[in-house]
Amino acid sequence: MKTDQKIMAIASGGGHWVQLMRLRPAFEEMNVFYVSMDKSAAVDVPGQRYYTIRDASRKQKWGFFVVMLQLFRILLTERPKVVITTGSAPALIALILAKHLFSAKTIWVDSIANAERLSTSGKTAGRFADIWLTQWPQLAKSDDGTRHPEYWGAVL
Amino acid sequence: MIFVTIGSMFPFDRLIQVMDAWALANPRQDVLAQIGNGTYAPKHMKFVRRLSQTEFGATVAGATLIVSHAGMGTVITAGRAGRPMVLLPRLQEWGEHTTDHQIATANWLGGKPGIHVAATDADLPAAIVAAFSEQDTGSRIAPVADPAFTDRLRTAIRGFNNSVKVTVQ
Repeated sequence: MKTDQKIMAIASGGGHWVQLMRLRPAFEEMNVFYVSMDKSAAVDVPGQRYYTIRDASRKQKWGFFVVMLQLFRILLTERPKVVITTGSAPALIALILAKHLFSAKTIWVDSIANAERLSTSGKTAGRFADIWLTQWPQLAKSDDGTRHPEYWGAVL
Repeated sequence: MIFVTIGSMFPFDRLIQVMDAWALANPRQDVLAQIGNGTYAPKHMKFVRRLSQTEFGATVAGATLIVSHAGMGTVITAGRAGRPMVLLPRLQEWGEHTTDHQIATANWLGGKPGIHVAATDADLPAAIVAAFSEQDTGSRIAPVADPAFTDRLRTAIRGFNNSVKVTVQ
């Protein structure tokens, strides 16, 4: 079913992208566009809009600023109503910008690599994500009174 | 072909050094290492710095054994191709990653079909021997996540779309 409500599916290269690809049945027939870092990842989403951003970790302040500008430009062009991501830090920036500047609904799926605790970005994402997920049931328990992500399943 | 890979992010010189020593002790022409921004350049195996996502997938598919960090991109790609793997987890204490989550990943995956974990450098040769005994793991993981998970996400996304439409009206 095609809908006019655009979906942005974004993930860093490597494992984050591989996990996002495993979630494609959730959105691939909708009006979706993709964002990652490696130009060659476009072959994974043939015939669909694919944007690249720079690879920058949170330690590189200048690189991170460039990534923010790139993301802002993509958001301005596409104006997605929903953002879904499997991480990492640059995707968190996208999620926050989309939420605050474009009122998008946001979904954070923390990487399956984080079996014992959420990633740093994943913890922060809890403040911004409309749906906040871990792929590990033991991280979804909320018996200590603090807010925890939900567990809906895993990519493996 | 044996494919040694550090994944897509940080360098992992320890893996490359240990595998270079292994390649010296077990001479063969078909060992390829992908070393990223590492400072150690191997002398006894061929190496590349980076591979595109496409080249990476093709190299994994063409390998008989993958020796890598305990990263999910490599694990899922090798699992899709049914290739046996040896995993050496990155350690935070040696600056190999920002946290010790790869130890948890290795503990979780070790013993699953085709996956052999080397907890330390010294365990690597034995893990390689064990992994070589299964050239094809015979178990290929499905191309996508469990439908129960993606269906629930899909329903939630549709719900967002519908609620957006309602507010517009």
